[in-house]
Amino acid sequence: MLLDPQFLIVQTLNGLQLSALLFLLSIGLSVVFGLMNFINLAHGTLYMIGAYLALSAVRAFASFWLALLLAPLGVALLGGLLYLVLLRHLQRADPMRQVLVTFGLIFVGFEATDIIWGSLPHVIEVPALLAGRSSVLGQVYPTYRLFIIALGAAVFLLLYLGLERTRLGAIVRAGVDNRTMVAALGIDIGRVFFLVFCLGCLLAGLAGVVAAPVFSIYPGMDMSVLILALIVVVLGGPGSLKGVALGSLIIGIADTYGQVVVPQLARVTIYALMALILLLKPAGLVPVRSGH
Amino acid sequence: MRSGDPLQLPVAGLLAAVAAAVWLGSGYFGKELLAEVAILAIFAMSLDLLVGVTGMVSLGHAGFLALGAYATAGATMLWGWPPAAALALSVAVAVLIAIGVGVFVIRLSGVFFIMITLAIGQMFHAYFFKARAFGGDNGMAGTPRFDLTWLGLESGDPAVFSALAVVVAALVYLVLLLLRRSPFGTMLAAIHQNESRLAALGCPVRRYKLAAFATGGGVAGLAGALTAQHTGFVSPDLAFWTLSGEALIIVILGGSGSLIGAAGGAALFILLRDQLSDGSFWSRLALPAELASHWQLVMGLFFIAVVLLARDGVYGRLTWLIRGLVGTVMRARRGGGT
Repeated sequence: MLLDPQFLIVQTLNGLQLSALLFLLSIGLSVVFGLMNFINLAHGTLYMIGAYLALSAVRAFASFWLALLLAPLGVALLGGLLYLVLLRHLQRADPMRQVLVTFGLIFVGFEATDIIWGSLPHVIEVPALLAGRSSVLGQVYPTYRLFIIALGAAVFLLLYLGLERTRLGAIVRAGVDNRTMVAALGIDIGRVFFLVFCLGCLLAGLAGVVAAPVFSIYPGMDMSVLILALIVVVLGGPGSLKGVALGSLIIGIADTYGQVVVPQLARVTIYALMALILLLKPAGLVPVRSGH
Repeated sequence: MRSGDPLQLPVAGLLAAVAAAVWLGSGYFGKELLAEVAILAIFAMSLDLLVGVTGMVSLGHAGFLALGAYATAGATMLWGWPPAAALALSVAVAVLIAIGVGVFVIRLSGVFFIMITLAIGQMFHAYFFKARAFGGDNGMAGTPRFDLTWLGLESGDPAVFSALAVVVAALVYLVLLLLRRSPFGTMLAAIHQNESRLAALGCPVRRYKLAAFATGGGVAGLAGALTAQHTGFVSPDLAFWTLSGEALIIVILGGSGSLIGAAGGAALFILLRDQLSDGSFWSRLALPAELASHWQLVMGLFFIAVVLLARDGVYGRLTWLIRGLVGTVMRARRGGGT
């Protein structure tokens, strides 16, 4: 089975599709962790809300593309609000309190989606433009899933250029490296952090929208991806764009193949991998901080 | 930790009196809740030893609860062990695995410690989820309770089992309190306050932290064994990280590091959950009874409020209040005397 090229192509594409979703979801979590040493457990909740907002947008405007534009903006708005009302005040708190406040938000988000959209699972139709199938290396594969892979790659490129070529990107890189120094240079790191936080929420929302036609939308769908996203962040190294890309590829492919090849052990090995990386290289595979 | 800690035993006495009153005054359902509170209190106190006393914030503590529960379920149902021997096995398994895990995790601190314990707890969850021998994601039903017929008691009776659970919780509390007040506990508290200074003084910090981690794991295993006996059912959910998160909230709610606070926090938590998920509670507040099905919304908001507002928990606030009152009374007396 393993050596069958058809099997390999399809499973690799499935893995890449999961990688692309994980990348969109994890990048915000990672940069926030890198900048502030802050783990936002409610990041998965934002992903779920992105999917639900897309559902509402599709119902209202009958257009997937409009949903793809509006829902992430809605999530970014919500995330920004959350930051200003709640998370901003936690910057000086100890890690336990930071983690547990966002833990409480998971329950609130779960019930809020249940109350607003109901507990039954929903699906969004794949847009007509991408509804067909394409041929990849002689293998037929759903076009929409190829679109997810392409979107992940495109967002990575955009973020890479933004981080390397713009002033804001330079400040973010410097902030991850040494936040106090950046602040001492007279840069309002708090505002930069706010922008980065909102962008991260936007991308988590985007992940939710593109995931919606593939997986069903239900209250609690965040739980299945939250831990995977955390593993990606730890694996790649908090605050590292390349690290998140690498971590997403590893986890996306490993989880996909693991579920098929060794179903008994699939997730155990992934958690063990996370524990091992944390022990041996707490700064991750692509460390960004010079001194810690 | 707290100089004097004047409320520790009075609060413990009060909780014991409340437990006795509930046991005497309640029916079947009340006694079931009482047993649940007692077991959760054991689990929360074991976590408080790590978090509040030693300063190790674990988000994977439920993994040890699950290990204890599965050891009891497996030993009694697969190998036919008597429940008492299975309980000893639960504690032993949890301690041994906590030592094995602890050797590695205690090297990390802060948010990295939170993350690695989360990963390891989830590893247990993933293992039990797929373990065919233990029923996989369906879990296992039918774990027997202690055989107390030699005492003329039937442990299937909620009155007997809840009393037993409360007594075990009280014993665990006393042991942990003695441990905290011993030189060992003083060292743990000192590590919490300033780890690098203790290391500089030549204290084998890691050995102390490992001992605390193993003790906490063992007590959690005991709570797991009692859970398996109480509900008669084990499932991978026992290892899920949200249970660890809830236990952390309970510790903060009660007052981190106070031990008896964790037990009180467990009682408040169960009471609140029980009320919020009951339609008649909402009706009495003149609110729609359907809110009961969304009780987790209120619980989530409550969690956030606890973390934001309860700096040293209910216990800490009580201590503060009593100290303030005593101070005022003393001043008033002195003022009256002159």
